[in-house]
Amino acid sequence: MVKVGMISFAHMHAYSYASCLKELPNAEIVAIYNEDTSIADDLVKRFGGKFFDDYHKLLEEDLDAVIVCSANADHKEHVVAAAEAGKHVLCEKPIATTIEDAEAMIEACRKAGVKFGIAFPCRYIPAVRRAKEAIERGEIGRIVGIKGTNHGTMPGGWFVVKEKSGGGAVMDHTVHVVDLWRWFMKSEVVEVYAEADTLIHDIEVDDVGMLTLLFDNGVFATLDTSWSRPKAFPTWGDVTMEIVGEEGVISLDAFAQDFDLYNNKVMKAQWIYWGDNMDMGLISDFIDSVEKDRPFMITGEDGLRALEVVLAAYKSAETHQPVRLR
Amino acid sequence: MLKVGILGAGTMGSMHANCYAQLPDVEVVAIADKRTDLARKVAEPLGARVYEEADELIEKADVDIVDVCLPTPMHKEFVVKAARAGKHVFCEKPLALTIEDGEEMINECEKAGVKFMVGHVLRYFHEYVAIKKQIDAGAIGKPAVVRASRCASQPLGWQDWYRKREMSGGVCLDLIIHDFDFLRWCFGDVERVYAKGTTFTDIPVEYALVTLRFKNGVIAHVEGSWAHSGFFTTFEAAGTDGLLYFDSRTASPIRIFVRRKGEEKAAVEVPESPVNESPYLREIRHFVECVAQDKEPEITGRDALEAIRIAIAALDSMKTGKPVTL
Repeated sequence: MVKVGMISFAHMHAYSYASCLKELPNAEIVAIYNEDTSIADDLVKRFGGKFFDDYHKLLEEDLDAVIVCSANADHKEHVVAAAEAGKHVLCEKPIATTIEDAEAMIEACRKAGVKFGIAFPCRYIPAVRRAKEAIERGEIGRIVGIKGTNHGTMPGGWFVVKEKSGGGAVMDHTVHVVDLWRWFMKSEVVEVYAEADTLIHDIEVDDVGMLTLLFDNGVFATLDTSWSRPKAFPTWGDVTMEIVGEEGVISLDAFAQDFDLYNNKVMKAQWIYWGDNMDMGLISDFIDSVEKDRPFMITGEDGLRALEVVLAAYKSAETHQPVRLR
Repeated sequence: MLKVGILGAGTMGSMHANCYAQLPDVEVVAIADKRTDLARKVAEPLGARVYEEADELIEKADVDIVDVCLPTPMHKEFVVKAARAGKHVFCEKPLALTIEDGEEMINECEKAGVKFMVGHVLRYFHEYVAIKKQIDAGAIGKPAVVRASRCASQPLGWQDWYRKREMSGGVCLDLIIHDFDFLRWCFGDVERVYAKGTTFTDIPVEYALVTLRFKNGVIAHVEGSWAHSGFFTTFEAAGTDGLLYFDSRTASPIRIFVRRKGEEKAAVEVPESPVNESPYLREIRHFVECVAQDKEPEITGRDALEAIRIAIAALDSMKTGKPVTL
């Protein structure tokens, strides 16, 4: 049985990860910390374990691993403390808001000899894996260019407070797809160009992002990270890509396993997803890696490489020039 | 009765011939194409005369309108010759391969006092007209981020001219020129262009991804592909109050598939989007009306020039790896 502590429910994905842990036969939520203590009873009732209003105290418990879902800018503090306490760590994306923080987290986990995983659950979507297999089998020949989107709805809360999030739509929605492309092609981003701005909502961070990436294998790609889905939209957003190869095209719409629902009380069309739960894939793989003491697939370096693209995009959006990464 | 001579009996030449034939008070009297067999096929049902040389048609045929449906590199020579001969000129898109050629064509038509219109036919497509109407009416609030796609298989033409970038200009000048013009019609002039694509490489498929920043702040992404199979377009515009999305693949009210006896392989299902009046007919009718009633065409020479300015900027950006400011 892997004993898990949850450090913060600031990011809503924590609820999904905790639900997955509850379902797993080989994991148990032993301790929960959250900045907002007003929901302490509710969290304990839903997910079990003991509530702590001080994460240092939580780390004194007998835990094998912690899952960090605090605000982006707080990841470093929580991950480093967990590593120093000898706990394996799974951290919500993006890894951090600065390169320095990300490097410090990787170093702390390396020194402590604990696993450090980044939550890129899209790697666990069956259709995404089919795309990767098709690419690796050479079904579409050499890849030429990729058009990607990771659209979303403006999340509000700390996501739109720059000090806590490090940025808006580009910070929130670049890393998932960049991680998938690095994983698919075993290739690194060498150059980033971006147009980004606050055009939709009255917020202090960017809500539109349009990135153009160049990979070291010569492939070019664009990625729309915009929080452009209005409240009236039938779902939260999307992860899509059109992968164009010399011998064919792969069209991927990762959450298209859905049906339409029209309900008079909701008064908007809804797309109800029925595909596999990617978060369950992520969490069960992480728990399994801890239990069997084997490497976890998505590393701190993966998180860092994706963050580099985000920060280069912000620099490019400011200077209107492409930014070289390596 | 207005008399028309068509230069080029390829896809667009025969399409235009068919449109003139449906209009009153206008007749196609001459068609020029080096491929005289092809020209005859178009000319015969109309009772039009066939010329082997475009020059000969302009010199000898008694026509009021010359309709130029030749490969792009020949546009300038024959538009100028037709204008100098005092003919009104309709020219297929794109206007020209260079700004200088485009300007010369516009100037010559002005000097000759003849009507001149370029076939940016999207402005007559029902779906695009309806989209613009909604955007103009404020249906999505203030426009913020826009995505347009135009994906097709590699087109075939006279001496395979589409494949030669110095003749067709690739997808930027030949295909998504449509979207550049439509976006400019909706959102005004473009400030900055950044593009990646295969046009200047030895990669055997033609694919381009272009980011446009408009003077009004709108960020747009345009995908152009001759790497797909079939043909489809998509258009999405998100703003401060909503989002609209169009996909030609789902906007086909009728699909027909014919099962042929004895065939192992399933027959291809052909989707259609029939309308009472084809966009090409609307376009040609407008031009004929302008000539008959001495009105200025809705699509001006400057519109056509600005469209190629965007496309050429995209090509320059591809070549230099830098954004191009207009």
